[in-house]
This record gives sequence, structure tokens and C-alpha cells, in this order.
Amino acid sequence: MADRRYETLVLIHPDQGEAGAKELAQRWKALIEEQGGTVSQVQEWGLRDLAYLIAKQRRAFYVLYEYRATPKAVAEIERNLRLADPALRFVTVRQAENAPPAPERPARRPEREESEFEGDLEAMEEVS
Amino acid sequence: MADKGERRGGKGEARTFRRRGMGRRKVCRFCADKSMVIDYKDTRALGNFLSERGKIIPSRITGNCARHQRQLTTAIKRARTVALLPYTTAYP
Repeated sequence: MADRRYETLVLIHPDQGEAGAKELAQRWKALIEEQGGTVSQVQEWGLRDLAYLIAKQRRAFYVLYEYRATPKAVAEIERNLRLADPALRFVTVRQAENAPPAPERPARRPEREESEFEGDLEAMEEVS
Repeated sequence: MADKGERRGGKGEARTFRRRGMGRRKVCRFCADKSMVIDYKDTRALGNFLSERGKIIPSRITGNCARHQRQLTTAIKRARTVALLPYTTAYP
């Protein structure tokens, strides 16, 4: 079966901690490879603010995988992610063959806006 | 609303008056700039096509062509499922 280019973005529960998230990221990378996929890139975006609450959490660790795999392998990977409790959400998208690889942290806002935002959040927490 | 606009726009400000079939034709931004890629991970670019409440702005307003509007809406919806973009701003 022909393999295709995919990209999966996974949200990991913040209670896993930095180390736990890294470990899970590794485990899922291994899972993709077990399924006969070849991972071309793993991006760890770190702890990001969520646009809305998921499982009563305001933040989550984001991990992005770029890989080649067969559709069957993707189904199996997604099944595993669905069963994994620390995976809050995920989205898998098939990429065009000629699409450029994802640039490092494209979804990150520029430093200025980001620091502003985080400052606000901390201020809010101090008050409450 | 139209009345107010007339009174306010006094200071040498040429009032843009769009007649039917005339006026400034909106061009699809993605068609105009082929290097622009629609990506669900690029929240900043997608944010341009959201209202303040987080609603998707219709192509009627933005002037996007049907093809790119379609790609855009799916990208926004993908971004929403992974909480990169909000469904709505009205949450505690």
C-alpha cells in the first residue's frame, strides 16, 4: 500500500509535566515507526495557552508530527491516541506531496505579543 | 447610520460611494498573493478572517474566492478542534 504524507498535532494534558510530555511524545513517535511510518519531523511547541478550556485545563503541551505512513497505520495511530488519556485532542491532516515541511513553530505569536499575554495571565493569577 | 456617516465625513474625506456593479472590486487575497498558504496552524493569519467574537467572516465581506474561502473555513475549524482558535469568546 502506498504511503502518504501526514501531519498530526497532539495536545497533551498539562499534568504530565514537561518530562512526561516529552516521554509521551517519544512514545508516540515510536508508535508511528512501529506502524511502518517514517517520521520526518517532531515539533514540541511546549506548554501553550488553549483558546478554550479542554478537560478543565487552560493549557496543554502541543506536539506536531510530520511523517509518511499508510492509511491503515494512521487509523491505528489515531486509535491509540483516542485511548490514551493524556492526549486531550489531536488532529491528523494529509499533506500534499509537494508541500514544504512545517516551519519551526508557525503558530507561535511574535515575542512581543506573547510576553504581553503571559504577563497578563500571571497578573490575573496573582490577584485571585 | 447612513445619515451620521454623511455628516461626519466632512473633512475633505472623499466619501466612498459604491454603486451597484461599480466601486472597488475586492480581490481574493490568496489569489492575489500565491505565496500565502492556508494552514490551520497559522493562527495569526487565520485571525484576520475572524470577527471579534471568533466567527468566520463571510467571503462577501473579505472578498475571498469560493475556493479559498472553503480552504479557509476548514483550516479555521481544524484550528478550533485543537484549541488554537476559539469557537467563541464568550466563555468565563
